[in-house]
Amino acid sequence: MLVSNLELVPGRRILAHYGIVQGSTVRAKHVGKDIFAGLKNIVGGELKGYTELMQEARQEAVERMIAEAQSMGANAILNVRFATTSIAAGAAEILAYGSAVQLDGA
Amino acid sequence: MKLENRLPAEGINSSDENPLKELAWLVVGSLGAVFLLAFAVSLAAQWLAPRIPYKYEARLAATLPPFATTPNNDAGRAVQAELRAIADRLAAHMDLPDEMVLRVGYRDEATVNAFATLGSQVVFFRGLLTKLESEDALAMVMAHELAHLKYRHASAALGRGVAIGVILSVVSSDLGSSAAGNVLSTAGLATLLSFNRDQERAADDAALHALHAEYGHIGGAIDLFNVMKTLPGGQRESSSAAVELLRTHPLTNSRVDAVAQWASDNGAATDRPRRPLPPAIAALRSVSKP
Amino acid sequence: MLDLIELGLFITLLVVGFFAGSIVEKRHYASIRKREREYADVLAYAVRFPPDRVTPQRAFLVHGTVVISSDYFKTFVAGLRNLFGGRVRTYETLMERARREAMLRLKHHARSQGAKLVICVRFETTTISTGWAASIEVFAFGTALIPDHNTALSFPSRSVAAA
Repeated sequence: MLVSNLELVPGRRILAHYGIVQGSTVRAKHVGKDIFAGLKNIVGGELKGYTELMQEARQEAVERMIAEAQSMGANAILNVRFATTSIAAGAAEILAYGSAVQLDGA
Repeated sequence: MKLENRLPAEGINSSDENPLKELAWLVVGSLGAVFLLAFAVSLAAQWLAPRIPYKYEARLAATLPPFATTPNNDAGRAVQAELRAIADRLAAHMDLPDEMVLRVGYRDEATVNAFATLGSQVVFFRGLLTKLESEDALAMVMAHELAHLKYRHASAALGRGVAIGVILSVVSSDLGSSAAGNVLSTAGLATLLSFNRDQERAADDAALHALHAEYGHIGGAIDLFNVMKTLPGGQRESSSAAVELLRTHPLTNSRVDAVAQWASDNGAATDRPRRPLPPAIAALRSVSKP
Repeated sequence: MLDLIELGLFITLLVVGFFAGSIVEKRHYASIRKREREYADVLAYAVRFPPDRVTPQRAFLVHGTVVISSDYFKTFVAGLRNLFGGRVRTYETLMERARREAMLRLKHHARSQGAKLVICVRFETTTISTGWAASIEVFAFGTALIPDHNTALSFPSRSVAAA
């Protein structure tokens, strides 16, 4: 499955558009990360725990988007965009969405 | 190029697993975690508190209003002196540390209670003294409070309370919904109270030793618990076996059973004659209304 | 005594939140699926340029927006989830419902103006918190195109629902 935020893939033609696919996940952090973040707020610097958390969440959102596209029978997702929201109670939602298409060629 | 509208499969971005399963796991997990944490902190405080030198405890107690106050009339001071005499006689059998500066106070109030607190202070109220009929029963109360001082239970409780309060406020402020925080606070409190009951049992045990050493028998303990059963609240207590989890003291019946057990374990008598109350304390009984 | 009343109230709210919430959610999902089949003829894509051979006569912005609130049960479970971390399943259904509803409203807006093709669709999600509870607002917007009647545009005659 080709995933790209390009409009067109150079050298390949779009055979069909199937529609919009979305992948989203809502993740919460746990107390340990929270306490550590509170302490890090004093000295500053990267919050590695949170970075990893968001990384995993984004990965999962993209995988779900790919799963939706596969269920439609597409072989590429174009114009991919990401949106992040934080929901009260310490949870964050990552949304990845794009257009599922059928590309020609190999 | 074809333009189509295909719908994706359901269930990719959401799961239709029953949310109650998730709730059950989370509740069990969080209650378990809170209990475990409270338990661990309690153990740590129990271990640490008796190792803090007395002079620091005395300094802390000095910042609070004094508990063991001296009454401002002659009769009250006489009562306080007699209480002090009993305390000294019992303390001789209890192996109290040298650095401990014992202070015995008496308050002319109708409360039926006595307590031991920070700074090695023991306080008795008139209300309790009027309910007791023999020096043996009074000595049991005094020995029990002295045992609390000997084991530094007040410092342990203070340290534990502070530590658990901090943990619970971190945990419950972290949750989005305050209701979840309230439930967890109650769970932590229950663990805290159960330790208090163990401390009371230890104090009863040490008190019985001292009582037996001084008076030769432990009839005073039996008398005391019989009196406690007749107090308001005592009737209700002896009829309901429930809700022991949320009380700070063990039920009186359990304490009576513990006394009987101690008597049979140590071959102690319970039916020797009792010593009469010292004069100033006995005088309180005739002054107050029945 | 007051503690018992508080506890009782909390449990009642939790139970009401769970049952009422799951009924509302099931109904909403049924309505969403029905309408998705209804609006199958309106096409929506995230691509930025019109597909080949579409020469628009009119192009205009269309949007769909919805605010869905979380019930007591969902908020409580999410609050507990905060201790351990991980996937908050109760909120995921909330987000999905909101997004699909917003898309349907966008398509309805497009169709009511006579368009059958929407391109460059974007989503914006916001949280509106009222005290302890969270409500999700999803705003979907895109450009609707009404093609020239001279253009040959191969619309599907039916939508293909995936297995």
